[in-house]
Amino acid sequence: MNEAIDDYLARLKAALAGADRATIQDALSDAEEHLSTALEQALETEPGIAADAALGTIIETYGAPAEVAAAYKEMENMTPIALAIPGPRIVKPRKHRFFGVLGDIRTYGSLLYMLLSLATGIFYFTWAATGLSFSAGFIVLIIGLPFVTAFLLSARGIALIEGRIIEGVLGERMPRHIAFFRKDLGWWGGFKALIGDSSTWSAILYMILQLPLGIIYFTITITLISLSLGLIAMPILHYVFNFPFVQTNHHAYYLPGWSMPIVVMAGFFLAIVTLHVARGLGHMHARYAKKLLVKGD
Amino acid sequence: MNPTRTEDRKFQKELNAGTAALVLLSVVSRASEPIYGYQIAKLIDAGSEDVPMMKQGALYPVLRSLEKTGLLESTVEPSVTGPPRRYYRITEEGRVALDRWTVIWNENKGFVDSVLKGTYHE
Repeated sequence: MNEAIDDYLARLKAALAGADRATIQDALSDAEEHLSTALEQALETEPGIAADAALGTIIETYGAPAEVAAAYKEMENMTPIALAIPGPRIVKPRKHRFFGVLGDIRTYGSLLYMLLSLATGIFYFTWAATGLSFSAGFIVLIIGLPFVTAFLLSARGIALIEGRIIEGVLGERMPRHIAFFRKDLGWWGGFKALIGDSSTWSAILYMILQLPLGIIYFTITITLISLSLGLIAMPILHYVFNFPFVQTNHHAYYLPGWSMPIVVMAGFFLAIVTLHVARGLGHMHARYAKKLLVKGD
Repeated sequence: MNPTRTEDRKFQKELNAGTAALVLLSVVSRASEPIYGYQIAKLIDAGSEDVPMMKQGALYPVLRSLEKTGLLESTVEPSVTGPPRRYYRITEEGRVALDRWTVIWNENKGFVDSVLKGTYHE
């Protein structure tokens, strides 16, 4: 819209250095929304006024970049995010840390995400692969540019939705709305900005990589869950359903009765290990997603 | 009164830290339809006669934090001319909190007033 607004946003971004990247994105879009709206109103009420003079007053009441940045940083320190409550870091005995995973809400969120990731992975991959190949094919046609634009915008939309899923389920702070482009660039300028923006391409890369990752997450989680449940249910399988531990063509092997308590305990142990694995994978994935889906500095 | 001295500004800032959330919650709750940041800032400026209570830029992080804690909710609507606008509305939880905070505020105000007037006795 205006170079002075862009300049303000750049200074605000510099002042916010070190803050959470999602906070920075929020602060920038708040400032852009406010300054553009205020400027528009000022020009409407006083048609003769110079835009720069009006903007000077507007920025004066909005606050200097340093002040505004300080307000966001303060708020970031004050309010914990719903799931990702940092809390004081207390070193607990090993036993508590091992079982503590049961009481951590993020464990179950991660487990859900691991199971969901196969479905979302297939969808994202199909969308990205189809979009890219159709874009390549259409580029010589008259519908080429509109199609490419629509596809690239859809990728950014999906990146935002994936971010919302990750914040809701894994508890990692992600942007709450899409990073938008300047409106005065026009159609062609906007298109070039979209093509030139690395976050468009990293969103597509994320969508493609989500399929192999989804397969890995899903397989690991399902295997561990079934193995744990199988071990826990072993006595019932043995004595009620007469289901052997291992079966070959001619032989069925059963475990001796005395081993049952050990097997069941091993099952519970493995179940808790599974929860640790899910939570760990979830944590890693959230950080990786933030790298690819949130615009860096 | 325009707080120009450092200690006055510090005092004003510390006061605002607590009251901004109450003021914003109340402004949003009185709006008949969802309201965006610039309108909220305008309403607050209109209400504070001499000097704006705080910089408008400092209102936005408070709005965000109220939303994070579930007292406000927001939707983003595209605007014709500029970037999209975020419209805020109060949640049921927010209304309950506002009622409680109003009680707390009145108690505090009464106490501080009585201390300042010298009518407060242990």
